[in-house]
Amino acid sequence: MEVGKKILSRREFLQGAALAATAMVASACAAPTPEAKEVEVTRIVEVAGTPQVQQVVVTATPPPVVKEEAPAVLGAFPRSETLIARQLTGRVGTPDNMNLWVGWKWQDRGLQNLADEPLWSVDFATGNIINGLADGDPTYNADFTECTVPLREGVAWNDGEPFTAADVVFTVETLMQFDGFGAHTFFVDNVASVTAVDDYTVKFVLNQPNSRFHTTFLDRWGCTRIMPKHIFEKEADPVQFTFNPYVGCGPYKLHSFDPQGFWTAWERREDWDKSPTGIMYGQPQPKYIILQGFDTEGAQILAQLTHQLDVAELSSDGLKALLAQSKTSRAYQPTFPFVVNNDPCITGILFNTARPPFDNVDVRWALILSIEMVEYMSIAVDCTGTVSAIHVPHLGPYPRLYHEPMQDWLKSFTIDVGDGETFAPYDPDVPNRVVAYARSRGYVFPDTPEFLEKAFGLGWYKYAPDIAEKLLVKNGFSKNADGKWLLPDGSPWKISYLCGTILTNHDARNAAAAVQQWKKFGIDAQVLSIADNDGIQATGDFDISGNWPSQEPWGAGPDLYRVLDRWNSAYKKPLGERTNGIYSRWSSDEMDAIIKELRETDPFDTEAVVAVGTKGLQEAVKNMPGVPTYGYIGFVGWDEYYWTNWPGSENAYCQPYTHWPNFKYFTPFLKATGA
Amino acid sequence: MPFLKRYLIPRLIAYVLVIWLGITIVFLIPRLTPNDPVMAMIGMMRARGSTLEPGAMDGIIADLTEMYGLQGSWLDQYWAFWGRLFRADFGVSFFNFPTRVNQLIATALPWTLGLLLTTTAISWISGNILGGLAGYFARKGWSRTLDAVAMVVRPQPYYIFAFALLLLLAWVVRWFPVTGGSSLGALPTFTWGYIKDVLWHSFLPALSLSVLGGAVTFQTMKLIVQNVNAESFVQYAKLGGVTEGRIVGKYVIRNALLPQVTGLALGLGQIFSGALITEIVFSYPGLGMLLYNSVIRADYNLIMGITMLSIVGITTAILVVDLTYPLFDPRVRYY
Repeated sequence: MEVGKKILSRREFLQGAALAATAMVASACAAPTPEAKEVEVTRIVEVAGTPQVQQVVVTATPPPVVKEEAPAVLGAFPRSETLIARQLTGRVGTPDNMNLWVGWKWQDRGLQNLADEPLWSVDFATGNIINGLADGDPTYNADFTECTVPLREGVAWNDGEPFTAADVVFTVETLMQFDGFGAHTFFVDNVASVTAVDDYTVKFVLNQPNSRFHTTFLDRWGCTRIMPKHIFEKEADPVQFTFNPYVGCGPYKLHSFDPQGFWTAWERREDWDKSPTGIMYGQPQPKYIILQGFDTEGAQILAQLTHQLDVAELSSDGLKALLAQSKTSRAYQPTFPFVVNNDPCITGILFNTARPPFDNVDVRWALILSIEMVEYMSIAVDCTGTVSAIHVPHLGPYPRLYHEPMQDWLKSFTIDVGDGETFAPYDPDVPNRVVAYARSRGYVFPDTPEFLEKAFGLGWYKYAPDIAEKLLVKNGFSKNADGKWLLPDGSPWKISYLCGTILTNHDARNAAAAVQQWKKFGIDAQVLSIADNDGIQATGDFDISGNWPSQEPWGAGPDLYRVLDRWNSAYKKPLGERTNGIYSRWSSDEMDAIIKELRETDPFDTEAVVAVGTKGLQEAVKNMPGVPTYGYIGFVGWDEYYWTNWPGSENAYCQPYTHWPNFKYFTPFLKATGA
Repeated sequence: MPFLKRYLIPRLIAYVLVIWLGITIVFLIPRLTPNDPVMAMIGMMRARGSTLEPGAMDGIIADLTEMYGLQGSWLDQYWAFWGRLFRADFGVSFFNFPTRVNQLIATALPWTLGLLLTTTAISWISGNILGGLAGYFARKGWSRTLDAVAMVVRPQPYYIFAFALLLLLAWVVRWFPVTGGSSLGALPTFTWGYIKDVLWHSFLPALSLSVLGGAVTFQTMKLIVQNVNAESFVQYAKLGGVTEGRIVGKYVIRNALLPQVTGLALGLGQIFSGALITEIVFSYPGLGMLLYNSVIRADYNLIMGITMLSIVGITTAILVVDLTYPLFDPRVRYY
């Protein structure tokens, strides 16, 4: 055969034909190329040098076209009516068991965040406590031995049965009866009796005074939930009951789930207006919501880039990669720092005060004063976190109730350096220096005082290595010829800073930053990264850890009992035994007295609660059993291809996480783009 | 009779002893680590927002210890374990309480078997055929090309290679899905539509395993064939005028396959450990992730269940290879 002047051999012809056939088969298997579409998204645009939030139109490549013969898929869930969110806690190990009163049941697969309604919920974005099944605050008698809860009328379970006080009574009595339930011990210890005063009022009689008893029903990413009496009463062993399908008072009901645990699909109930969500906020907009587990961040990013995932929860690097490549994705904040910075949790450094030399408050302060906070924040989180000098994060009601009123006290607070010298460690200028550094990195953000305070905080502690040195020398420490610190017994001072193995988590971020600072100061410090190290910390086998320096606060309301009570000496156990309090194993008579005073204070008397809470925070600052550094920051990516009007920082009508129980509360506000 | 007394019975006794020893070691090792299943569960629940009142903690720990069956000494737990084992019951999973270990394994095992049996077979067959031919025709251009490709592919870290495939075929050209064993919303049914969906989702994981596994088999087989090719009986066959096709198939590759058969048996036995990185990269269901979670959560019962499959699988594969080897190699006799 001749082709031009070249003679084509039979072998060459057959090779060419094989290649062509392969290419044709491959292209036949490929999905058809979808046409590009225009979509309106939220973006930050510089207008005359000032960043402004605007809606802009972008051209986006739609997701792959699903082949007709692919089963179910998003044909069963019309994509334009379906919201797909990443499930934070990953693949569900018990897909067909939804009895979340026993052990761990992956409640963020839609159980707590779509199908269930608690009595009350915390919203840390607004600082409010939201009534769910309850219809107002509980009331206590004078000595806090009785608690009465009003319930919301007109609510029905998603199978149509009405919700009443009988469900609450049944729940508590069942939890008390069977020791397989996680809340069993708490209710047995606290509750003498529970009765339905009428269909919508429940009364608890307590075994001893407990002014915060009701908080067991306050949903702050977890609480005691109400069982449907008409279902559970038929079960001889409710601990073994799988409770499949889940029946709740939330606006969604179970549609289907993957037997392998990778996804759970929920459908809006037709009588959504009989759920507290529907009563308060209206009809949830997505008809279907799917919570999907991903084992890697890369898969999440690819899924969102191809519009197969609407809500991604990433690391800082993952969010940067997503925003760099996606025309339709946005972060919680449209401008730097981009992050979710109102998560009610303070991160930092936790000392094991049961282990020398960390049992010495001078040593703890020396380690704090050897930290240069701008360097620390740049290493840990590239300056995106909000610093806090006190043991609650700078968000919600806390700046107004605690951070700002405590500024004078912080500025006048001094530590004893020795030889009659005192030192005032607080530095209100730290946030300004962090701002300057962030701007020098090229980040653009508003310069209003409100934004800067919310993003960067009000102050932290001075970088004073000379004072740190004096504190150590005062307590017998010394330096060798190489400038390395030695313990009072002359041996080299080595610190192991314990953290987990996921280096993008905040325990590891704080560890990396602190160790770098202490090495610079002359201490032989190193990061010790161990997976699943909670047991090691609980038994006190560590020096310093990246665990939170104080218990997470509620995030709404003025009460700090949840924070301070973890320092209660009653919970401390000897080294080697699991402690029930915070892992620093610190307590003091003064803090015990403050906790007792707060326990006897009406939790709804804001002025009284704030006064006692302030004393508790002052005691914590004096002793620093843990060092607060910056508030927890989350990295959320929202794809605006199918859904918009997300609760971003410029539109914070609700907290932003889909794994939190309040997710159901922002579903009525979402808007379908019609893509 | 001599075969029975001198080989088979002692071999079977050794088989049982190895299994017993393996299981006993797996029983002890998790209990020797500082990770306690009750503490692991409490730590995990605390980290994921569950309400655990500090004043009730001692009671919670006692309740969990009782639920998990961890009261009593290790010896008590050991006898209880063997008692359940003879009833084919591995007990309940601590982390996934109250789901039974048998149920968890039964759910994950078909995915692992389906993926790994297929890819093991594909990589073994293709690697040996291509490696055998490439080894015999070592000087041909196509043989050198294949060898070069294998040399480039084989050293690639599996995670990088798998993710590169995902980027290329699920993101750049978008021919395959990003994650999962089946599509969102697809429930298991014995229909052609569901089977096609599973095959479509398993293509990338299978491709990643087959290519890397095949490259290893290719290179090994090529080396073995080159050695066998130099043997005197092969040279004699060539000089004796035996056709080249017969020499390649009957003389060279057939003899070179002997060590590869052993490797196949061991590979099949290791299937029960799952393919952890594959499951992570592709979010593919299987035993690998189940085993990983059981180890970090100190889920003793689940660790025992999965590793027991692995121990029995590998030990049985070795036993089968030992007993059937004379069929492959007539030079091997046990009496």
